Amino acid sequence: MRVLCSVLLISSVGLCGVASAQTAGKAIYDERCAQCHGVDGRGNGAAAPVLMPRPRDFAAAQFKLRTTETGSLPTDDDLIRAITYGVPGTSMPGWQKFLSTSDIAAVATYIKSFSTRFAAERPQSIPTVAASVPGAPTPQTVAAGKAVYEKLRCAACHGTDGRGTGAIATDLKDDAGRPLPATNLTEPWTFRGGATPQDVYLRFRTGMNGTPMPSFVTAASETELRNLAAYVLTLARKPVWDMTAEDVTAFYKAQAAEAERDPVRHGRYIVSTIGCTFCHTPVRADGSLVDGMVFAGGQKWTAAPFGDFVSYNLTSDKETGLGGWTDDQIKAVLTKGIRPDGSRMLPFPMPWPSYASLTASDLSAIVAYLRTIPPISNRIPAPTRPNIVSYLWGKFQLLILKKDMPLVAYPGNAGSAGGV
Amino acid sequence: MNVRRVVKWTLGVLLVLVVVGFLAFLYLIPPFTLMAPEAFSGPEIAAADAVKIDAITDPKTRALAERGKYIVVATGCVDCHAPPSAAGPDFARYMAGGLKTAVRGHGTFVSANLTADRQYGLGRRTDEDVLRVLRSGVSADGGRQLWYRDMPWAWTANWTEEDRVAVLTYLRQIPAIAHKIPPPSSEAVMTYDTAAIEEGSTVNAGTTP
Repeated sequence: MRVLCSVLLISSVGLCGVASAQTAGKAIYDERCAQCHGVDGRGNGAAAPVLMPRPRDFAAAQFKLRTTETGSLPTDDDLIRAITYGVPGTSMPGWQKFLSTSDIAAVATYIKSFSTRFAAERPQSIPTVAASVPGAPTPQTVAAGKAVYEKLRCAACHGTDGRGTGAIATDLKDDAGRPLPATNLTEPWTFRGGATPQDVYLRFRTGMNGTPMPSFVTAASETELRNLAAYVLTLARKPVWDMTAEDVTAFYKAQAAEAERDPVRHGRYIVSTIGCTFCHTPVRADGSLVDGMVFAGGQKWTAAPFGDFVSYNLTSDKETGLGGWTDDQIKAVLTKGIRPDGSRMLPFPMPWPSYASLTASDLSAIVAYLRTIPPISNRIPAPTRPNIVSYLWGKFQLLILKKDMPLVAYPGNAGSAGGV
Repeated sequence: MNVRRVVKWTLGVLLVLVVVGFLAFLYLIPPFTLMAPEAFSGPEIAAADAVKIDAITDPKTRALAERGKYIVVATGCVDCHAPPSAAGPDFARYMAGGLKTAVRGHGTFVSANLTADRQYGLGRRTDEDVLRVLRSGVSADGGRQLWYRDMPWAWTANWTEEDRVAVLTYLRQIPAIAHKIPPPSSEAVMTYDTAAIEEGSTVNAGTTP
């Protein structure tokens, strides 16, 4: 590249600059970004299928965090800001501690190569954005903002209290058709684009492309949107790290009560954090989770000398999943390692001894959520045990020779759906 | 004559008993499916209980640590972050790390020491360093992103930030254990099966300096 650039130096300095930044950016991207965003930038990295929210798809080139008109591309600074400081409320870290500003700029350049839009279009900046600095909120602007909240029907998604439980909030989907909860406006530390009055105003002004959050540029005036930002920030509650001890205790109590009211939502949270899909999803040879087969099971493990185990199909499929199981049967597996036929499971690879400490209401919430997972037909073979001679020989190696007998995971889908 | 015969028979019977006993020992030990389920969950909960959070004087830290403890136990962090043995995790050295995992294409990793030890454990990390690993899998060591099938950060990333802070508060209470963890290596050695994508060892890779 360097030789080529010297040869072409006179004619196309700019082009070569971009090309070498892309090469440098690719190396950094492949090492630090690809696990989530995918090597081809499609937001389909190895870990992507279980991340909430999903990593950005750079090929689709729909960006939430911009200072530009709705539907337009982000500026370079917009991309650089997200890479430098990270995106709150998501797994996107800020890279300023580990990457130089030139490295970050190189990554931003490389990200732009995933979509042809960046070569064909220019970001449409909003001239007024840089010029107008928001004043401090006053009771008047907050009251006016509340009226705007009603006028723009923000509550339809975000709820009258801003907690994201509005009427249509449960059916919201992103442009790729994936469920996307409305942002809880009482938790500003999770606001993707930041929580200053300017940050919040920008989301109303530019919209969050790729999500159901539109731009309100035509529906409201500049002043109205400024006032709306002032109002939305008054909805904030304190995070636990800023609460008093009594408030923390009260908060956990309220959270538990809410979990009882909406067990499916609470169960989804627990299941998404506790790691069920680490094993209950097939994995490709390159270690990536198979999108579309999350919860379908089929991952094979060997626990020598005890035999082979295939993770079960946790979807609500009646024939091959949990659809035909009773609540108590699911709970017995989860907390006691007892299968519906009464047989006992080893304390690994399924870590049921850990789940034994779950509270009764959390267990019920998990079951309630599992019931809502759309069925996928994937018949899982029963565990296989080695013959008695190799079993005893394996035990001899393990117990007497103290040989390392690793727990082993295999790629592919060992279930009937195959296809991985 | 009779004495010799008695000795011979006795020895023979003993030998058979020893062989049968040994085979029975091999067959039944560890007696996973004969033990009550509580015998497995009990030690894990007892190990978590041994961390004295009741003694925390600040009521807010105590409330956060309690929530953190519940999450840490239910999530089973200790399954990887206790030194491994043929009979499962060594709960006596709670969260001292040392489980070696080989991951195809990514290398060999050893689970971190999560105790308060200032030289080998979490005691040497800042709060933000710990939260960043749980949020994004990005390690304080050079900002390397851990492979999600090694440290399952893709699930801890889904915790709310408030729950992550609670988890951190609990982890900070775990008494220090000096257990040195070797650095990751770029070469994954598959010892068991060449078709595998990952292998978790039953031998502790940590050392006590």
